[in-house]
Amino acid sequence: MVSDSIDFNKLWSRVRGSIDEWVVRVAKRFGYREYMIARYLELLGSRDEVLKLLKAFESELRPSIRCNTLRVSDCSYVVSRLRELGYDFERIEWEGTSFRVTKFGSPSLGATHEFLLGMYYLYRGVASLLPPIILSPSKHDTVLDLAAAPGGKTTHLAQLMGGEGAIVAIDVSRSRMRALRSNLERLGVFNVLAVRMDGRLVPKVFGRVFTKALLDAPCTAEGLIQIDRSRKVRTLFNDLVKAHERQVELLNAALDSVVSGSYVLYSVCSIAPEECELVISEVLNMRDDVEVVPINGPIKFCRGITSYFGIELPSDVRLCCRVYPHIHGMEGFFLCLMRRY
Amino acid sequence: MPNEEVLKCTSGGITCEVSELVNELIKSLIREYLGNDVAEFTAGLGRFMLCRGEFSEAYLIPKELEGLVTKLLRSGRVPYSVGMYLGRVRSRKPRFVPSVNLLHITYCELGVRSALVVSLKGLKPFLYGNDVLKESVINCFEPVRRGYVVGIVGEDGYVYGVGLPVINSCSELNLLKGSDVVALNVFDVGWFLRGGTVPRERMFKV
Repeated sequence: MVSDSIDFNKLWSRVRGSIDEWVVRVAKRFGYREYMIARYLELLGSRDEVLKLLKAFESELRPSIRCNTLRVSDCSYVVSRLRELGYDFERIEWEGTSFRVTKFGSPSLGATHEFLLGMYYLYRGVASLLPPIILSPSKHDTVLDLAAAPGGKTTHLAQLMGGEGAIVAIDVSRSRMRALRSNLERLGVFNVLAVRMDGRLVPKVFGRVFTKALLDAPCTAEGLIQIDRSRKVRTLFNDLVKAHERQVELLNAALDSVVSGSYVLYSVCSIAPEECELVISEVLNMRDDVEVVPINGPIKFCRGITSYFGIELPSDVRLCCRVYPHIHGMEGFFLCLMRRY
Repeated sequence: MPNEEVLKCTSGGITCEVSELVNELIKSLIREYLGNDVAEFTAGLGRFMLCRGEFSEAYLIPKELEGLVTKLLRSGRVPYSVGMYLGRVRSRKPRFVPSVNLLHITYCELGVRSALVVSLKGLKPFLYGNDVLKESVINCFEPVRRGYVVGIVGEDGYVYGVGLPVINSCSELNLLKGSDVVALNVFDVGWFLRGGTVPRERMFKV
């Protein structure tokens, strides 16, 4: 039976109940909270897979750059300038303008003249390139980008739109908005209206005007342990519940802001089901005007889970996509494409 | 957004206005500082907006964003930024400090003017907030006037910042020694690294 609403108390007691000797031992060995390992075992289904994931989290992520075609017409020009500084790259086969760093030079990639001139955007991991590619906006679209700062995805959307059309970029944080504005100016992006406001108020302010929406939701970053090792112990289960509640509210706001027949892409840099499938499940249960649609992604994704500690989720959640460090060689990520009727 | 309509909203100590008066003010400043062709060219790309707070900042709103900006202002909110940031409007000289993007588009679309081309050796200290010295100037494009601004351009053709010249024409360069300052640093793209998340205004020296 599909659950109507998530009972997090019951879920927590089931998570705690699943902590056995092996979980305790592995949590201690890798330095994690025990409840996280118990969840990974439920998520991945075998101890071998859990160990592969944990080992992948111990490896380093290689940074990548996205050549900014709003600033330079020929990406090989940017690459050749950076090669003169000692860098080398390999092309990311599924994103024609992006390159993974294979050799480091000097100064750092965040301090070169080419960076300051906006010739590229710097990424810590490549999974952040996926949401704009999947949403695939055109110059005819009016796009909502919720929780937009610091603007990696906003500027990527603008690039895919050829600098035309319209993007409304919303974020509530003052300091992150400064970073967003700085990136918009640096990369020469002129089709963005940036607003510092609570994303939940967007439907009230703008109405249903958007033809596409991206919600790369604020999350606990359980997919970024390779970058932030403190995430192994920082987050309590209750923090996940709070994040879940905020994500549900923001996703509803995104869905309420798009015109009928439009697509909304939900993404998080997390592998926590509480921030992924349980958010989608909650929203599907709350609304009768939305469906999950398959993603024709540039890579072979893992499917969304439909059962979690005895909670059965709507079968459509299977159409959502997961990215794992040990399978895809990039940071942990979750994507779900929805269409509003 | 009809041209005669006045859209004005104040929020958080910032007042943003889109009106014919604002359009004329910004157009006249661009005309005075970069030329009539630039004023006409930018005006053809959309409408101007002026946001006055601690500082006055001018924006170009492209046509695709006009309706969204109207909705936002009517809801009692002001944008954090919109379209192209054109530059800062001031009450004393220089009365207009154009943005790097406005200069970049001007030079690409309409030709280089009011600019100093600076060597790579000279650009490095400039990007740390230092002034431009005569020995690093490779080329000079008129008009260059005291009290106005110049674009600081690299040999690669990209705009690296904005300077305030201490000379009144390119020919005055010949009167200076190599170590003399030609233009004060007003803004440089190093700010994106040094001050990208702090208010830009702290970085202005004039």
